[in-house]
Amino acid sequence: MLRNSKLRLGSAIIIAAVMVAVIAGPTTVSAQEVATGAASANVLAVLVVTSVQDLNFGDVLQGVPTSADIDLVTEAADFLVSGAAGYEVALYLQLPEFLWNTTNTDRMQIAFSSTDAEIDPLAAGDAATKSGTETVEDPYNLTATTLGVDNGAHVYLAGTIYPAVDQAVGAYSGDIVLTAAYTGN
Amino acid sequence: MDVVKSNPSPRKRFFRRGIIILAILALAPLLQLSASVLVAPTAVFLSDADRTGRMTIQNPTDKPKEVSIFFSFGLPESDSLGNVQVLLQDSGVTDTRSAVDWLKAFPRKMVLAPGATQVVRFVARPPKDLPDGEYWARIVVRSQESQTSLPSQAGDDKITTKLNMIIQTAIILKYRTGNLVAKLDVVDTQVVSLDSAVNIFVNMENRGNVSYVGILQGRLLDAKNREISTERINLAVYHSLIRRLHLPFAEGNFQKPYHVEIFITNEGRKDLDPQNMIVGNKILLTMAAD
Repeated sequence: MLRNSKLRLGSAIIIAAVMVAVIAGPTTVSAQEVATGAASANVLAVLVVTSVQDLNFGDVLQGVPTSADIDLVTEAADFLVSGAAGYEVALYLQLPEFLWNTTNTDRMQIAFSSTDAEIDPLAAGDAATKSGTETVEDPYNLTATTLGVDNGAHVYLAGTIYPAVDQAVGAYSGDIVLTAAYTGN
Repeated sequence: MDVVKSNPSPRKRFFRRGIIILAILALAPLLQLSASVLVAPTAVFLSDADRTGRMTIQNPTDKPKEVSIFFSFGLPESDSLGNVQVLLQDSGVTDTRSAVDWLKAFPRKMVLAPGATQVVRFVARPPKDLPDGEYWARIVVRSQESQTSLPSQAGDDKITTKLNMIIQTAIILKYRTGNLVAKLDVVDTQVVSLDSAVNIFVNMENRGNVSYVGILQGRLLDAKNREISTERINLAVYHSLIRRLHLPFAEGNFQKPYHVEIFITNEGRKDLDPQNMIVGNKILLTMAAD
């Protein structure tokens, strides 16, 4: 009976804390800030990766290599990694070598150079307005990144596609996979 | 020697889940556009006393998400410069501490509607006579748009492209059995003085039978033990690991000779549930920095 009443009391406290966090909390509140405010004990960090912007080459002409610009919001791929500030996250990109058309009858080469990625250790900003502390990275060997004071970091990616002169017209697609893991647990 | 208390009281479990839900709700407003799914907690613990665990996955976006769960193996590994990577290995795992082969997840595939939450449960079926210690796997949560749209062709003579962005979050799972020992050794340190900073390379070996999870702190001190700079790193040593501490010089009335203090402990981690921490040894080292 006593245990049940304690559980009910705990339930009420947590629900109240959630309500306070949701209703009164700022819209850009972080997991760390809220957890610290709601429970005096531990911060159970959450790790979230957001695909903010796809890698976009626009319209492509046969025989004309086309690159995405890493400084343009409309072209560079943008991943936002959100978690607890000061925590280090390992990042790994799996990149395609070819894009395939819808009928899988033709393929187009895509390539990524050793400077086609950038990591900005802050959540604020975008491809065009980086913090100034971003680092140029090899997309095949990304450096583990410590999340910034605003609980996040951006990974930007550029690349180049090489359509052949006789490339079949149509829509081509491929997969880019970003894997994230905390290094400290 | 510490034995895991793997059966926390219902009240503690309830509060822990409450904090996880709170964290999810708090982070949800951060996520916009084509966000990934949100996964909590960031570490799952199973044991011989409780072979089941759970994880909460939420889709905070306004689009349905296709989510798949699978197990992989990947530990933090470093190069000689202390750069850390976690490379996932899906097959051919030879590490005797791998738990990948005897873990199951339910469900393994799902489509999460906008705003929906799904609990994924894990169960371990370890082989008999498993030696004491900790066994590891990565829970990989893979998410993408449930309806991938190909770009519309702008004209008869146009080529268009669409790169599907797929997100994988790799969460550590630890299975513990028997008596658990957390013990770390520092087998080598190198101090490299630069013009503006001191780099310290700390080479560590895990001598226990669980991962040593803790904090590595370095302090650059002057002759009167006044702190010039400090760096703190969350540490997880599974087998061996090299970490680099970067301690910049600072303006001030500091007196030479400088020295460096390195402190390693697995107490004080506020991001992990104390119930799941295996208390181990502490290490304090001091060395010249000039």
